[in-house]
Amino acid sequence: MSGFLVLSIEAVRDAARRRIVAVVIVLSFLSLLGIDGCTSCAGQVTVNGQTQEMGELAGITGTLTFGILGFWCILLAGVLAAEHLAQTLIDGSANLTLARPVGRSAFALARLAGALSIALIMTAVLLGATAGLLFVRGSLSLGPPAVAAGVVVLGSVTIGALSMAASLYLPRVACMLLSVFALASTGLANLVGLFGETKGVLGGIDAAGPPILGALALALDPWIPQVEVPGDPVMAWIRLGVWAVGSVALLALAFRRLELGR
Amino acid sequence: MDALELACVSKRYGGRSALSEVSLQLEEGAALGLLGPNGAGKTTALRLLLGFARPSSGGVSLRGQDPRDARARVGVGYLPERLVLPERTRVDDFLRFHGSLAGIGGADREQAVHDALKLTDLASRARDRLGTLSKGLRQRVGFAQALMGRPALLLLDEPTSGLDPLGVRDAREWILRAREQGTTILVSSHVLSEVERTCDRVAILHEGSLLADGRLDEVLRDGESLEDAFVRLVRGEAAAS
Repeated sequence: MSGFLVLSIEAVRDAARRRIVAVVIVLSFLSLLGIDGCTSCAGQVTVNGQTQEMGELAGITGTLTFGILGFWCILLAGVLAAEHLAQTLIDGSANLTLARPVGRSAFALARLAGALSIALIMTAVLLGATAGLLFVRGSLSLGPPAVAAGVVVLGSVTIGALSMAASLYLPRVACMLLSVFALASTGLANLVGLFGETKGVLGGIDAAGPPILGALALALDPWIPQVEVPGDPVMAWIRLGVWAVGSVALLALAFRRLELGR
Repeated sequence: MDALELACVSKRYGGRSALSEVSLQLEEGAALGLLGPNGAGKTTALRLLLGFARPSSGGVSLRGQDPRDARARVGVGYLPERLVLPERTRVDDFLRFHGSLAGIGGADREQAVHDALKLTDLASRARDRLGTLSKGLRQRVGFAQALMGRPALLLLDEPTSGLDPLGVRDAREWILRAREQGTTILVSSHVLSEVERTCDRVAILHEGSLLADGRLDEVLRDGESLEDAFVRLVRGEAAAS
């Protein structure tokens, strides 16, 4: 068994034992109850003076629900990653492992894999249940959420790796807040970008940042034929991939340069 | 080739000097006691040797390799001063994990775990969770993981910390047995009597500078104990500065 695999298995076990995971499970369960409530709604809505059945708006409500949940799952990855490597440095347990013939990059990436494994299991449960309920109750196809789940995975890798890299220099709470801020600003920039030309800082973030919300909207576009989402899905995926790879490389580089256990 | 070498190494943290132009070599099979009062730079020297930190100047090597390269740490056993163990992991699983990281595979790993448990008298506690063990037993687990697979180089930072007199005696026997098997040993310790019994060489650090380095008979004057020599060198240095 390779050293990386041994470290990853240990990191997953360690992640599963953390108290924050219990909080995450409770929040996810509450989210599932909320989704169940949302998707079972059968009322009528008046839009521009026209009364429409909720079923006719399933695509829009489904997209909004899926988008919000996707962002929540990515944020979860950032929160879990914010302490999963840093804690081993604080308590000194990293030193015992890194005295072995283990590369710094392998250790950091295994810790990232550990944090992401929990986040992605939650993502699979939440997004899977949502897609299933929307399919059964709203007759929405399953293809778009499958693609959107891929966007969430890449977004989770990006935000998780950046949060973990930041945790090498900043306290846990600061890293969690940074994850919230990074995700919110990126989402806002993408949202504004979807409806028109963005300028200034938001424009810069929309043009160069990870297009998480934009890629989610493009993935779920088949659900909302009433709206044409602008943008090139291939370019969005390429940018997301570059951000994910770059973030992981940044984490590995930052950890290689770090001095341990001062 | 030396098992380890610090070549004119200095280490600074901001404006504070932790090590100042320290040179130290340890040949294969030797046992060196690294002595010094608190803050002398002993742990910093170990951190440099394990690649945890980079020297501000000078060079560090493990068997001729940069210790920041993972390959240089093959065959190294390490017991830190502050031992942190995963509370919910069982003793034998913890040793298996470290055996795997040390590159010991399959049946050899199981044998190494068995041998380490037997050596450190932990066989009856093999399935206990680490969080349930006393401080002394935890230190035994630390020794067990460091000694697993007969390491070529053993780095021990305050190894008798937390051990009762019987544990101290056992630790001394484990170190001496490792020496007999040809393991190169570096022990950083405050317990001068233990160093005197287990090492053939001593190096004394004070405020980041190396005051003495040599065989015990070279460092000690006629009729002098290691404690006498330690006090003479450290107080003498303090008076001179």
